[in-house]
Amino acid sequence: MRKVYITGVGFITSIGNDAASVSESLRELRHGMVQYPPFQKPEIPVKVAAPIKDFTTDTTDPEDWVFPARYSIKRELLRGMAPHGVYSYCAMLQAVEDAKLTEADYSNTGTGLYAASGGSPFLLGYYLERMRKQGVMRCPPLGVVASISGTVNFNLVSHFKIRGASTGFSSACASSAHALGFAYDEIVLGRQKRMFVVGAEDGNVESILPFAGMRALSLQTDPSSASRPFDVARDGFVGTGGATVLVLESEEEVARRRPKVYAEVAGWGQASDGHNVAISHPDGEGLRVAIENALRQSDIAADEIDYVNAHATSTPIGDLSEVKALKAIFGNSPSRPAISSTKALTGHGLSLAGAMEAGFCALAMKEGFIPGSAHITKLDPACAGLNIIGATLPQRPNVVLSNSSGFGGANVALLFRAG
Amino acid sequence: MAQSVNNHSGVALKPFTAEDDANLREGLKRCSAATYEAAAQFRKTGNTEHLPAIVLGIIERYVEPDLRAKLKDADDDLRIIEDLGIDSLTMMEIVVLVEDVLVMTINNEELRHLRTIGDVKTFIECKVRGLPLPKPTKFIPIEQIVAVMPIQPPFLFLGEASVNAHGANAKYKISGQEFFLQGHFKDNPVLPASIMLEALGQLAVLFLLEGQIGEAGKTVDHRTIFFTSCEGVRCHRICRPGDVLSLSIKPKRLKSPLATFEGQIRVGQEKAAIAEEITLTFGFAEEVIALTPSPQVTPAEQPVAISPAPKPAKSAVNA
Repeated sequence: MRKVYITGVGFITSIGNDAASVSESLRELRHGMVQYPPFQKPEIPVKVAAPIKDFTTDTTDPEDWVFPARYSIKRELLRGMAPHGVYSYCAMLQAVEDAKLTEADYSNTGTGLYAASGGSPFLLGYYLERMRKQGVMRCPPLGVVASISGTVNFNLVSHFKIRGASTGFSSACASSAHALGFAYDEIVLGRQKRMFVVGAEDGNVESILPFAGMRALSLQTDPSSASRPFDVARDGFVGTGGATVLVLESEEEVARRRPKVYAEVAGWGQASDGHNVAISHPDGEGLRVAIENALRQSDIAADEIDYVNAHATSTPIGDLSEVKALKAIFGNSPSRPAISSTKALTGHGLSLAGAMEAGFCALAMKEGFIPGSAHITKLDPACAGLNIIGATLPQRPNVVLSNSSGFGGANVALLFRAG
Repeated sequence: MAQSVNNHSGVALKPFTAEDDANLREGLKRCSAATYEAAAQFRKTGNTEHLPAIVLGIIERYVEPDLRAKLKDADDDLRIIEDLGIDSLTMMEIVVLVEDVLVMTINNEELRHLRTIGDVKTFIECKVRGLPLPKPTKFIPIEQIVAVMPIQPPFLFLGEASVNAHGANAKYKISGQEFFLQGHFKDNPVLPASIMLEALGQLAVLFLLEGQIGEAGKTVDHRTIFFTSCEGVRCHRICRPGDVLSLSIKPKRLKSPLATFEGQIRVGQEKAAIAEEITLTFGFAEEVIALTPSPQVTPAEQPVAISPAPKPAKSAVNA
């Protein structure tokens, strides 16, 4: 089977706006949470979020937005973008540069782009408000493409003149893991030689706060302990946004272009819980099957895995469900893989999570470290038997599993092998 | 202002409140201060003299900064898409802001025909004053020109053309394959001045046939159009294969059976030829009358080769 490699990454995240600072945050367990100013109101019980730094995107007029000087975005592009459109555009520029791709390399029918985001409830809400108040003909002409789910692929595919396969994925918090899995398939099947994989979210009031109604958000006020997956006192996730872009290339392209290689995408699997619209299966059934499918497809044995980047978002039920799935997979394995959830540092990026964490795994495999699972004061006794690491380990993981689970009980397991 | 009043321009005024003013400032915050001033004055007084400044100010805000210079000394023929790089989506943004600022509604159908700055200014002025909208500029591709014109290749010297109430424009690229260039001149192909005048005459014929002559319900019969006279023809530039002629004519007098035009030809920004007057005769479809073409007039300032006058049935304009 044709091999697929990760050859470029780009990050705009709560823990850093480029690969170098993200890597440093992961090693040193530096988190991205703050007491988020828009939440500091008596009627909002949630106080902590993990916003993007050095970008200001909190007004409905994109021409008011501020971003780092290294990025200049023309008005005609900006008008069709949500905040996470800007994040993904910047991450895309990083990934293109990192993989040393020229326009001729990526603007062709052999290069595609798969993306995932939840759209921009922030802009969509504003446009609908304007439509009701000012009338239907007074909505900005590009309001739809800026705000609906799919906005990331619309923008990046057109602005970067991508001519191969393109679409968006919508499985909530498993979305960009699905995007990566199917992008891998495109290359393995020989349909594409190169795929961009993008995950992105606004990570602002409108995209995070609705989860408060589900009682899914942490109500902690201390930014340094609000997100603590696997801790016995965890009480919900901390919201974040941003963007991650990965460049996947076929082995032929890697042989031709000789880019640096972060890791090989060894394979993937997915399965669904068939259980509840919003609550994960209590025994992690779907996730277990997804991991088994990924192992079988990649021809990797469970005991070869030396690091698991867990989905664990810091919710009581969700983390437990994943713990059960991991126990089912690794229970009898003599070599227990190191397990951590980097969401303790970043917060939960929803549709962004899968691609962001795959990017973290790529950094870990290339640079030779295993990020720890931060903020655990007292490990949940239910985790006994799993090797959940509190501190970063200085060794290179050779085979890595990254999990993602989304609403409706969608589960994706991605497997990577050191390049 | 406390109540609605009508002023000299016939525009009904609504009270302009402090809230309106705040919204206006917000809406025009990325436009020049002069744009806001003009808009505020218009909203307070209804004086339509402010409209060009408002409309140009709003368009300027949406033009990429490096193209804004074009707008500074723009004439009304400046094209919105081709010259200013404004696409249809940006045009929508302009419309939404114009609607907000002028408190009016513009529908999509009306917009489709606005191609030049002049079109936009005229359109807004008519809308605000409640006047009937002018006929939009019609863009006519070469296939359609060939279909309507009595003159046919190889003697047709119009490429793409546009016609509106104020005149017509066309382009013609000298290919070098024109049959007469073989002999005009020996080893030195130069477009004959008579052909330049012929091309302007053909554009005037197109103007008449495209129904812009203001006599309602009547159409011009192409068999009735012939050349009668021309005056003040001067050539300023030698035109050779590869040159693209920008032809334009404007009607000076239009009264059946005579139509008089002024015409000019440019190549890029250089003036190539002008004709102060070109006069054609024409008749309407239901009153076809036989007319004899007048003797041709020869432009004098450049060597010319005069083609023999074709028979009226075959060619309507001779130069």
